[in-house]
Amino acid sequence: MKAFGKSSVMVVEDDPSMRTALRNLLRSVGIDPQLFASAQEYLNAKKPDVPACLILDVRLPGMSGLDLQKEMKASGDDIPVIFISAHGDIPMSVHAMKAGAVDFLTKPFRDQDLLDAIHTSLSRDVVRREKESACADLRERLQSLTARERELLPLIVSGRSNKEVAAKIGTSEITVKVHRGNVMRKMRADSFADLLRMAAQLEIPYTKV
Amino acid sequence: MQPPQPASIRYALATGFVTAGLVFSLILFDVVPHGFLLFFLLAVMLAGWFGGTRVGLFAVVLSMVSVAFFFIPPYRALAVNLDEVPYFLSFLLSSIVASWLGSSRREAEERQQAHLDELFAQTPEALLLVDLDYRVLRANFQFTHIFGYKFEEIRNRTVADWLVPEGMKEEAMDQRRRLADGLNVNFETIRQRKDGSRVNVSEISFPVIANGKTIGYYTIFRDITEDRRAQERLQKAQSELAHLSRMTTMGELASSIAHEINQPIGAIATNADAAVRWIAQSPPNMEGARESLDYIVRDANRAAQVIERIRSLLRKGPTPMGYLDLNEVIREVLALTRFETNRRGAVISIALANPLPPVIGDRVGLHQVLLNLIMNSLDAMDGINDRARQLHISSNVEGANVVINVEDTGQGLNAEDCDRIFDPFFTTKRSGIGMGLTISRSIVESHKGKLWASTGNASGSVMHISLPVVEKRQ
Repeated sequence: MKAFGKSSVMVVEDDPSMRTALRNLLRSVGIDPQLFASAQEYLNAKKPDVPACLILDVRLPGMSGLDLQKEMKASGDDIPVIFISAHGDIPMSVHAMKAGAVDFLTKPFRDQDLLDAIHTSLSRDVVRREKESACADLRERLQSLTARERELLPLIVSGRSNKEVAAKIGTSEITVKVHRGNVMRKMRADSFADLLRMAAQLEIPYTKV
Repeated sequence: MQPPQPASIRYALATGFVTAGLVFSLILFDVVPHGFLLFFLLAVMLAGWFGGTRVGLFAVVLSMVSVAFFFIPPYRALAVNLDEVPYFLSFLLSSIVASWLGSSRREAEERQQAHLDELFAQTPEALLLVDLDYRVLRANFQFTHIFGYKFEEIRNRTVADWLVPEGMKEEAMDQRRRLADGLNVNFETIRQRKDGSRVNVSEISFPVIANGKTIGYYTIFRDITEDRRAQERLQKAQSELAHLSRMTTMGELASSIAHEINQPIGAIATNADAAVRWIAQSPPNMEGARESLDYIVRDANRAAQVIERIRSLLRKGPTPMGYLDLNEVIREVLALTRFETNRRGAVISIALANPLPPVIGDRVGLHQVLLNLIMNSLDAMDGINDRARQLHISSNVEGANVVINVEDTGQGLNAEDCDRIFDPFFTTKRSGIGMGLTISRSIVESHKGKLWASTGNASGSVMHISLPVVEKRQ
């Protein structure tokens, strides 16, 4: 797991034996996990700003693992989740997987399965975080546009000519041309195709005239 | 007391007394001329006392004849001079009174004796009267019935020689000492019959005191073999019912218990995997491997304990009583129900007084009681969605008792149900036969403890178990 540089593996498991065993296994492969005995403990904890994943027991006192997964989604905590359960309850695992869990392991599980799941989760989190930070960068650029320029952007990326845009917003074609140049510069787009990709990432809607 | 003589002897006796009176009167006539009055009165009284009313009156008639013939003028004739009539009549009257005094006294004694005899014979318990040296003075028919000895066979024989079996002599001596101190003695013990067989008896002994002096002891024996058997049958039935109820509970818990065992097994597998990885490192990390193996041993023991607890709960028949730390008992039960509690979305919290003085109890029985209370609480909280499902278990010392409280946030109890829930077949659940709490209460009461319910402070209910603290003998 050293391939991920700084990363964090978190475990929510109420059974002390199982918690210790998981820590022991993860340490033997060079991971020092963060342990929690309940969903509430996890929610209260400060999460590190590194690629991370969560190993989550399904049955927990009070808030269950599935409830925690729901809660995390609602609060925008998108850390990948690997469920572990003492029994192979099929409806439950389907539910968990549909809600976006990386894997659903039944105790006792093969250690390699868990380690593979952790690997997958961390890789997924790296990508997610990259995407998220790229998005954050683009949003910053979008913020640097003037109101007029932001108004023009959906029309430009929808493939309208300068003339059409000018007609639509009631200005001259030359003004639109200047705005388009400013947008390209401020968004740091190398080409029109590049701008289109950014628009897609920012989920700027395609507009019809 | 002598048995009453036949009528002929009694009349002969009366005749004898009167004749003796006459002889003394004649001999002593010159010395005490009116002595005959005393002698005849005495003769009549004795005749009445020995022979009863009729014999007394017979003696009165004889005396009158003798007196009229020998001592009242005209002498040597069965006539009485006219001026001697008042004298003669007053003598007659005195004689009748004397005879009545004698006979009534006698009859009173005979009646008393008859009552006593009847009581002795009819009492359904075996009675034994002994003297101060524990020699048999009297034994009743029931005694013969229970022990096989006839009164004639044991008359004047010392009780300890034939009634007290080997091994009970010491106890019998203790009881004798207590009796000698003037105490009544009441205890259950074993005695031996004529044929050598043993019999469970309840024995009550008390001193017989006359004029402030102990003159002997009465002992009442009751054969309690049948009582014992009935008690044993009842206990057996109760224990079978309890076992059945445990089996039912365990059935309900089966899948949760399977997970409870699976948990340490899962931990063992994971630790074993870790151990392999620690060793596979180069150089091998022996410290890591060793730690993993320690965890494996610990978890294997935990799994074994869970299995042992389940086995003991499923086992049939009586379980031994011993010193128990109730905190330990609570933790053991929670180890079985943790998964079930999680499954039902409840949270358990505990507050145990530490240290807790020991109680004497049957571990399995108390496991069953706590298991029953916890399961009831979980059932009561199943439909609760507007508040947290919380189960709080606490232990405290209150006076000479240890009290365990099991508190939930379930649907709660109204005041009148607090008592009714312990009635057989009373249930507030849709499933269940309503015997759980009845059985639990009988288990707690067999520990000389109490089990009761109260309405909770806010929502839900509280069950209380109180068990007496014992001094632990070293």
